[in-house]
Amino acid sequence: MRDFLKGSSFKALIITVVVLLGLMIYTASAGGSLIASILGFVSTPMQSVATEVTDNVVEFLDLDGLSKDELKEMVTALQDENSRLQDRLIDYTQVKQENERLKVQLHISQQAPENEMVSASVIGRDPNDPFSGFSIGIGTLSGVSEGDPVITDKGLVGIVSRAYATTSKVDCLLSEDVSVAAVSIDKQESGLIGCNITMASSGLLRLSYLTSETALEEGDIITTSGAGGVYPANLKIGVVQSVEKSETDVSKYAVVRPFEELASVKEVQVIVSFPGQGEDDTVTDPGPEDSEEDGE
Amino acid sequence: MRDLNRIIRSLAYVLELLVLFMLQETPGLFPPVYGVRPVLVLPAAAVIAMLEDETRAMAFGVIAGLFCDFGYSGMLGFHALVMGVLCFGVSLLVQTYLQINPVTAVLVGIAALGIMFGSQWLFFYYFRYSSPGYALKIHYIPKYLYTLIFVPLLYLLNKALAESLPSNSGA
Repeated sequence: MRDFLKGSSFKALIITVVVLLGLMIYTASAGGSLIASILGFVSTPMQSVATEVTDNVVEFLDLDGLSKDELKEMVTALQDENSRLQDRLIDYTQVKQENERLKVQLHISQQAPENEMVSASVIGRDPNDPFSGFSIGIGTLSGVSEGDPVITDKGLVGIVSRAYATTSKVDCLLSEDVSVAAVSIDKQESGLIGCNITMASSGLLRLSYLTSETALEEGDIITTSGAGGVYPANLKIGVVQSVEKSETDVSKYAVVRPFEELASVKEVQVIVSFPGQGEDDTVTDPGPEDSEEDGE
Repeated sequence: MRDLNRIIRSLAYVLELLVLFMLQETPGLFPPVYGVRPVLVLPAAAVIAMLEDETRAMAFGVIAGLFCDFGYSGMLGFHALVMGVLCFGVSLLVQTYLQINPVTAVLVGIAALGIMFGSQWLFFYYFRYSSPGYALKIHYIPKYLYTLIFVPLLYLLNKALAESLPSNSGA
């Protein structure tokens, strides 16, 4: 035992532990780090390729209901087509994907031309994240920064939690870390969109801090209110599925089904700039006792 | 230059960990079971630790842990620290008490992954979020069991790699 404690391997263990503890403290306090950016430079291109290949394979395997002859005909036709288009295929695929992204971006931009956006692909989903967070293939070099809202044409998806040089991490609305000031466009009632693991496992959100006399009902549409300057106003979030009584006080909450499938989204837009951004970043979880005013 | 095999083997391990990280991060590649997907780099590092001396085992544990830290968006260093110490311990344990065979690999995987996912749940979930028991039931335990399935496969892969590139010094 004494020999082991004096050995070089034990010293290496102690040094490693000290260095990693220092790294943990540094990244916990300073946020993004050089190491993470370097890892991003290495992993991002490979992740993009792996994701694209997987998507193509999944699409290929989804050929339900075709007979053998039909499949043979399809293969022959595709081989002919492939030989003709071989030299243009890579460019075509890239242009097509870019076109899809730009169409979505244009559609969203027309709805809210004041917001400045960049499009991105989801390149990774970490299995360790219980709240379906994901990585996108753009980072600070593309103008993305921490706190930028992430949307699709169906509505709000989440927020950039970490921005590295070429990649960013997104906390989606299913995360307990994400709170969004929201409003019902029909009833003009405000609340705070959040989630917990119980609802996240069903893909649902919770609109908290409604009064006990709330008029919200099934089918009401929920959007961002814009309060706090964290998210632009009028981004679609979801539709009320039911209204329940709070477990802890007399207030009520609404179960909201998001418009977007948060756990399987593939293409997103990051809003890097919008009017009113950061005007008031003091919005916090209001707590049950002062729910109505601060929930806005 | 005296032990070229060891250098090539080390590079192969790092490449393996990188590829496994890509695979586990790729959406849609592994079918979700009860909504969870496997974490491949952790059992790989535990198995590699069985085949290497303690310092190198720790190094591969740290690399695997850094990949997990990077993917998880948490602070860098937590998984690296836990995996580094775990792999150091696994290597010493195997050198002192255990034979290297598929059964001990599975036993090491059960223990190492249990400690890793347990500490992940404790430090990343229990102290931060609500309903930790529910999270353990619907996320951490299914993920643990799903990941364990890959231990024998990764053992065979790395055992074959270690035997095809043996160290000249016998380590």
